[in-house]
Amino acid sequence: MLLFRSEEEVDRWCASTGEPRGETLPLQQVWELSKLWYGNRMDPDFRGRSVEQVVDGFNQAGLASEFWRP
Amino acid sequence: MAASLSERDWQLREHIYQFLVEHTRPPTIGETAVVFAMTEDEARSAYQRLHDAHTLFLEPGTTEVRMANPLSAAVTPYRVTVNGRTLFANCAWDSLGIPAMLGADASIESVYTGADGSDTPSQYAIVNGTLGGDDGIVHFPLPFRRWYNDLVHT
Repeated sequence: MLLFRSEEEVDRWCASTGEPRGETLPLQQVWELSKLWYGNRMDPDFRGRSVEQVVDGFNQAGLASEFWRP
Repeated sequence: MAASLSERDWQLREHIYQFLVEHTRPPTIGETAVVFAMTEDEARSAYQRLHDAHTLFLEPGTTEVRMANPLSAAVTPYRVTVNGRTLFANCAWDSLGIPAMLGADASIESVYTGADGSDTPSQYAIVNGTLGGDDGIVHFPLPFRRWYNDLVHT
């Protein structure tokens, strides 16, 4: 996932590279998502996540569109 | 998400993560085999199971760890300084994943991707749990259901 300055730059980059145009999140929201996604990754009892846990984490980060569904 | 892994496999995974954070490189098969009192073939098989379960990712065709998300074993444009060490993240998202995983402040040297594909420097940081510094947006090109088809690309 790459960092851009603006949506316009994402559009132009996708057009020039042929890469798919997905969704963008502000860096602040990515930080919130990171805490939910990676916060327990090194816990000794980490045993992966269920699909339900993934969906719950996305919902907590405000990501409810089809794009974020398993 | 979690495939069928033994308790020992999970312990081995935890060891890889801890080693990578401490030494800024993943342990070799030989080093892991010694720690777990197993043969190198057994360690290779465990690495492969962890890869197959998406808990880490091997360099294609090898048993060398390429990614233990959010950590990258390869040098990338996403350099994260945390707890006095410099670690590399796989992408812009993972550059924030490292301080999130370690629960630590971090200074992050990152890049903006330009419309023409060129990179320009960007810097942000986590201080007392708060994000500050340069702003921007992160592009997620593929929907979640496709993330594991090609993780290097994603």
